Amino acid sequence: MTRTTQVLPPLAVLLIALFAVAIGSSFMPLDRVVAALFGAGSRADGIILWNIRLPRVLLAALAGAALAVAGMLLQRATRNPLAAPSVLGIVDGAAVGVLVFFLLFSNEANALVVSVNWQPLAAAIGALVFATIVGVLAYQDAVSPMRLLLYGVALAALANAIVVLMIIAGPVFRASQALIWLAGSVHTADWREVGILSLAWLVALPVLVLMIRPLDQLRLDDQSAASTGLNVARTRVFALLLSVLMTATAVSVVGGIGFVGLIAPHAARLLYGTNAAPQMLGAACLGAGMVMGADLLVRAAFQPLEVPAGAVTALIGAPYFIYLLIRQSSTHA
Amino acid sequence: MPDSFAPPLITVESVAIGYGGALVFRDLSLAIPKAQVTALCGPNGCGKSTALKAMRGMLPASAGQILLDEAPIGGWGAKALARKIAILGQSPSAPEEMRVRDLVALGRYSHRAACRPLTPPDLAAIDTAIRATDLADLAERPLGGLSGGQLQRAWLAMVVAQEAPAIFLDEPTNHLDIAHALSVLDLVRRLRRDSAKTIVIVLHDLNMAARVADRIVLFRNGEIAAEGAPIDVLTEARISQVFDITCQVLTRPDSDLPLVVPLEPHGSG
Repeated sequence: MTRTTQVLPPLAVLLIALFAVAIGSSFMPLDRVVAALFGAGSRADGIILWNIRLPRVLLAALAGAALAVAGMLLQRATRNPLAAPSVLGIVDGAAVGVLVFFLLFSNEANALVVSVNWQPLAAAIGALVFATIVGVLAYQDAVSPMRLLLYGVALAALANAIVVLMIIAGPVFRASQALIWLAGSVHTADWREVGILSLAWLVALPVLVLMIRPLDQLRLDDQSAASTGLNVARTRVFALLLSVLMTATAVSVVGGIGFVGLIAPHAARLLYGTNAAPQMLGAACLGAGMVMGADLLVRAAFQPLEVPAGAVTALIGAPYFIYLLIRQSSTHA
Repeated sequence: MPDSFAPPLITVESVAIGYGGALVFRDLSLAIPKAQVTALCGPNGCGKSTALKAMRGMLPASAGQILLDEAPIGGWGAKALARKIAILGQSPSAPEEMRVRDLVALGRYSHRAACRPLTPPDLAAIDTAIRATDLADLAERPLGGLSGGQLQRAWLAMVVAQEAPAIFLDEPTNHLDIAHALSVLDLVRRLRRDSAKTIVIVLHDLNMAARVADRIVLFRNGEIAAEGAPIDVLTEARISQVFDITCQVLTRPDSDLPLVVPLEPHGSG
């Protein structure tokens, strides 16, 4: 890979971020964006920027980066380039967690009776339960890569069925709330949600830094990695756990935005190689760009409808997944 | 010869070990002396690779104990153990796009702090390992572009860069042609002679074992059939009993080492 191809993607992501702040139901030229940022613009510009656009863009970036890094951790831990939070049923598991949370803790008036800040915990529990089931099933087969994917797809389908059942059979007033959340959208973004994801990142960051070196060793097969002094089992459990928690936090806030955790780390590996640090930075950057870009696209193209950003990432992601599947099966034939 | 009263690197005491329920060894006792090349030989499935992994703490013993420097091997931390013993398995794998130098650098893991880049001693060890394995010209190549012999050398370089006083090798000459196999054995002899490494090597070719080893341990069905200097272990009677073949043992024309010539499998007339 040449320097240019390595530098272009981050620049593109930066450009997307700028456009995402500028474009909405009303277009705001760059000079007004900058003025509003520093409190020098009109009052209306200031409100639009600080209350609507900025939290939305930041939320998309933080969630996209979290999903991308979660996907990379998963791909390293399973040594499977096709593993991703949405493919292995972790995203849908988180959805089940959130729906159960809605079902248990909201009243007739469609209001939650406990703090909404518990929602990430509910998502994490759902994600962990489904990830554990997939893990236990796959472990019995000594983790054959294709089996792992099949179990994941099956469990994702199961989680989806549970979600649909809960929406249809559950009280009507919770269905709309659930549907909006499920499709994956950042259009309801506010600073509280940005706060939750920022906090999650603050916790995850030091752990990720400490995991760089072990993740580098995990490129070797298990025995070679152990020979160099890596505690393979512990590294794998940490990576999987961190991946599930990051996915769950992101999903609980922005909903089921799929395929970011598949595409971003894969593209980052092509662009920046297999060293964990550059790949992780690249994946985070590309993931942020993907979700910001998807949200920008739905805002620009479907105004005034609010189409969920998750629809766009799935529209790009599913064909990419199929392409990877075909390529993988042809090299292993 | 090294002092025969020096404590061994590894002592295996009445160990039972296996995979799942199936025991490979019921009662294995063995000592690995320091600064010598010990070759583990025997027919397929006799337990030589199992013994190697067990002595590196990669398989827990269900009875008996394995001591490394007189301390139970299970009590050594992963990194501390790696600084003592490096092991190269039969089928190592790494991403094809990884460069040789990056692979060799992975051998330094047990010496590195969590967030620091490679230190001068790390870089020196990597360079030494690359030179010792004749990989200087290939250091920047991706692994996917190497031949079988070059790839095996790259893995050996990673193991050498680990700078452990002991190196375990599981059939390192598998799939290599004669010239590459001999260069691997030559590297093993150099490591023992120049750096006083303790080397345990699993080999199925008895003539290669005779060439490289100070001691040979001959396994059969989870038991030790014989151990000692090649010339004492590799006798016609013993080989025909352990491998179920008839054979002749000659003396090599260039040295006094034994040369095993397999003739017929038993039962073929």
